[in-house]
Amino acid sequence: MAAPTGAPGGAAASGFLGLRAESRDPGAPGRRRARGGRSRKKSWKRWAGPEARLGRELGAFLEDVGLQQRAAGGLVAEKPDESLFFLDTGSEEKDQKLNRGKEKPLRIDLILQPDSKVPAPKDILAHQVPNGKTQKRKQRLWEKLAERDVVPREQRLLQARLQKAQLATAEASHGQQGAHGQGAGAELAGGFYDIWSDTTDPLDRPLAGQDAWFLEQTKKRRVRRPARLETKPSELPAVEVIPAGGSYNPMFESHQALLLQAHEVEVRRQKAEEKLQRQLRFPTAAEAPTQETTFQEQCEGLLEESADEGGEEEAPDEPPAPGATPPPAPLHEKKTEQQRRREKEAKFLEARRLGEKAARCRRQELFQLRSIRLQVKRREAELLRRRRARLAKRRAEATKPRRLGRLKYEDPDLEVQLSTELAESLRTLKPEGSILRDRFKSLQKRNLIEPRERAKFKRKYRLKYVEKRAFREVTL
Amino acid sequence: MGGLEKKKYERGSATNYITRNKARKKLQLSLADFRRLCILKGIYPHEPKHKKKVNKGSTAARTFYLLKDIKFLLHEPIVNKFRDYKVFVRKLRKAYGKSEWNTVERLKDNKPSYKLDHIIKERYPTFIDALRDLDDALSMCFLFATFPRTGKCHVQTIQLCRRLTVEFLNYIIASRSLRKVFLSIKGIYYQAEVLGQPITWIAPYAFAHDHPTDVDYRVMATFTEFYTTLLGFVNFRLYQSLNLHYPPKIEGQAEAEWKLEEGQTYAMDSESYMEKLSALSASLARVVAPNPEDEVQVDEFPVDGETAEQEVARKKEQEAVEKQKKLFEGLRFFLNREVPREPIAFIIRCFGGSVSWDKSVCIGATYDVRDPTITHQIVDRPSLEKQVIGRYYLQPQWVFDSVNAKMCLPVADYFPGVLLPPHLSPFVSEKDGDYIPPEKLKLLALQRGENPAEESGDEEEEDSGGDDDDEGSEKEDDGKLKKLEEQRSQGKKLPVKVSAGTVRLEDKQRAAQEEQSEEKRLAIMMMKKREKYLYQKIMFGKKRKVREATRLAEKRKAHDAATKSEKKTKKVRRE
Repeated sequence: MAAPTGAPGGAAASGFLGLRAESRDPGAPGRRRARGGRSRKKSWKRWAGPEARLGRELGAFLEDVGLQQRAAGGLVAEKPDESLFFLDTGSEEKDQKLNRGKEKPLRIDLILQPDSKVPAPKDILAHQVPNGKTQKRKQRLWEKLAERDVVPREQRLLQARLQKAQLATAEASHGQQGAHGQGAGAELAGGFYDIWSDTTDPLDRPLAGQDAWFLEQTKKRRVRRPARLETKPSELPAVEVIPAGGSYNPMFESHQALLLQAHEVEVRRQKAEEKLQRQLRFPTAAEAPTQETTFQEQCEGLLEESADEGGEEEAPDEPPAPGATPPPAPLHEKKTEQQRRREKEAKFLEARRLGEKAARCRRQELFQLRSIRLQVKRREAELLRRRRARLAKRRAEATKPRRLGRLKYEDPDLEVQLSTELAESLRTLKPEGSILRDRFKSLQKRNLIEPRERAKFKRKYRLKYVEKRAFREVTL
Repeated sequence: MGGLEKKKYERGSATNYITRNKARKKLQLSLADFRRLCILKGIYPHEPKHKKKVNKGSTAARTFYLLKDIKFLLHEPIVNKFRDYKVFVRKLRKAYGKSEWNTVERLKDNKPSYKLDHIIKERYPTFIDALRDLDDALSMCFLFATFPRTGKCHVQTIQLCRRLTVEFLNYIIASRSLRKVFLSIKGIYYQAEVLGQPITWIAPYAFAHDHPTDVDYRVMATFTEFYTTLLGFVNFRLYQSLNLHYPPKIEGQAEAEWKLEEGQTYAMDSESYMEKLSALSASLARVVAPNPEDEVQVDEFPVDGETAEQEVARKKEQEAVEKQKKLFEGLRFFLNREVPREPIAFIIRCFGGSVSWDKSVCIGATYDVRDPTITHQIVDRPSLEKQVIGRYYLQPQWVFDSVNAKMCLPVADYFPGVLLPPHLSPFVSEKDGDYIPPEKLKLLALQRGENPAEESGDEEEEDSGGDDDDEGSEKEDDGKLKKLEEQRSQGKKLPVKVSAGTVRLEDKQRAAQEEQSEEKRLAIMMMKKREKYLYQKIMFGKKRKVREATRLAEKRKAHDAATKSEKKTKKVRRE
């Protein structure tokens, strides 16, 4: 078959290489080179341009068709498959002929064949496991351990994983969350364990028997909880039982007492509100400021101040007139030696005098023992009284909620049912209040959490309202 | 004056406290995580004594923690888990954003989780410590167990709470340790005595909640998370102490049996066991069968510093408790459909009664309405058309009042349609001198073994009789006064006369009394000024109490009279 010449061969090759169709194939011989220089218009007009390319493509196509007709007697695309291909089933003779060289063993293999008359030593490994004795011993040990429910690590891990998966599925199906009772004590008592057992602490078991120093340095041992955290922040009971008036079918007196309590709370609240209203009220005609009062208010401090100033100005003016002598300048002159000595002596004498006096007094105190004892007694009594008062105050404050944040604790509304609202039987009872809020407030009251208010939604940027054009055009 | 200058706020209370935000930054946690950690570890904010000093001169209200507490928190392994979780969330969000579903799956499989076991052990070193703090845990779990499964909190949490509370109730039934019940308008208060510790909790009524908006659900959920773990461990220990199977097993029946019975119709296979447990009608299986012969009487040793009187009182109390435990033994109850099943069934079972209900109400009904052995039927309707002879029809309050009175109260006051006596709070105890309402007096008399109702027959009659007595006594008084006056007037005109003397019998008792009072008066006279003042103050307080009590009693009398007259007028009108 003649080598295809010209463009189609080049195109196929370029296609095979994965290059762009336009890129020129340097190997293609048939490609005509542009002859001559390109400087003149005539020369570059000759084979360039769309017509020239079309002409080239047409020529290539026709050449290809001619080639196909010459080689296959017609267009290949129109021929049936049978005429183009055949099934190669192969033939023995041909294969033998072709593979003659390959049948023969390689020379190198022949060289490597054992040619010694001495038989090769038996393969021991076929009969004997290397290191078998120790392994056997180990296996025996594990068997023994297995009897005592000790399994190797891998198996243990595997079991743990399996159990975990099982538990997870069980949880999914039963909807139980086994927050406790797995993990460290998985082998214990079917997945549950006693955290307060006397014998061993299941949480510390992995650390048992290790060096204390090592545990401390590697921070594996937990830090002891400080004793001050044992005391509760408030002495209030966790569950405060509602007073007897809160019964669903209360006794008359206790119900009245509860109502009175609620009433007092309400009155106090109303009073506070009224006070606020009163303070913010618009003044009546009588109280309203007139022009005069506003003027007075505006010059409130001014008049008095000026009067004061006048008085002051007058006072300093007077003294200089009678006494012509100026005030004596402060003395900063150096003391003389004599002065110093005298001062020192005076000081010493004074100290001695005081010391003597103190000693005398002390001597005299011997005769005042009775009155001193009385004084001491009084003082002690006073201290005792103060201590008692302090204790009482502390006790009173122990149950009070503390100020733990920006907001103060506020008591929730009393749960009360009016006499008309009381249920006649358990069936018709309407519960009052919410236990959830009660619990929440109790936590706040006992200083376990600080009172908070719900975070307000705060927009970072202002909203921008834009009217869409489609709407703007609608006019009604 | 050498030395370094002392700087302000570098020593003393300013260095002992730390603000919340600083603590948060020190722990590298978000505020929500910090809050959670504090709740789990039991570290609470403090109010410093001198706020201005602590706050470095500023008076702004801030939340302070003790610095040492925060340093203690730094050692907590859970802090790392919180950080891991933060990273996990970030990764997950990123994967979602990129729609990398494989990554999402992988991340979700490796979700970091933490356990609170070691915190429980740390906060409650002994079991008794845990029991003392159980009030909160129980109230919270009972509350969460009744929440609707609507997404206010995780469904798993709700289910876990339900399971734990049911386990606890079953323990209380098995150990018969319930002591007091109080039906309030808020919920039902229970008090049990577990291993000598009084445990109080409140359970809500089984009605729909209106979720309050001013409650921080996240905080509550964190508390619940901690308390569920605690309650799990406590339950296990409690079950062990009674030799019960844990997780609880129903006695007698094999699992397959009850499944066949009715499980299919009521609940899915996976849930029916739990439902059966929560019905509270079956007793639990024990690891070792109880043997009555094993329960040997323990020798009792008198506690040091206890007088004979105290010991006698203690013994008496013990006997009363033992008696209360067997309050409903041998009684068979049937609950009508309108009665709140769970609390009443729980209480009846706590005191040894057997209870059943209509099959349509709940799983686990053991006998039918038509069972002839039923002794009490609890009914909450004004009237019943068909009544079976041989059983009492009672309103539910009878059960609660009987438990609180530690005896089966007379049934007449609790028949259906009858106006109920008030439900008294068992948590209120009157000291001597306080006002004791007549209802309570009646109850106390009943407990002592007297029967005031029988003595005076009908209530109306009794009241009118009482009134008559009062009037009669007033008349008598008038008569006496008149006589005295007459005597006095006569005394002036008495003719002088000597009559034979009569032997005056000395009333020894009275003399002794007089002597005593005289001594007392003298003692008062001899008191120091301060002591006398105190004494008078105490006496005044006592008198005031008595006065209050009498005032209340009078008020009550007036109220009763008013109601009675109202009734009478009504009756007259009807006639």
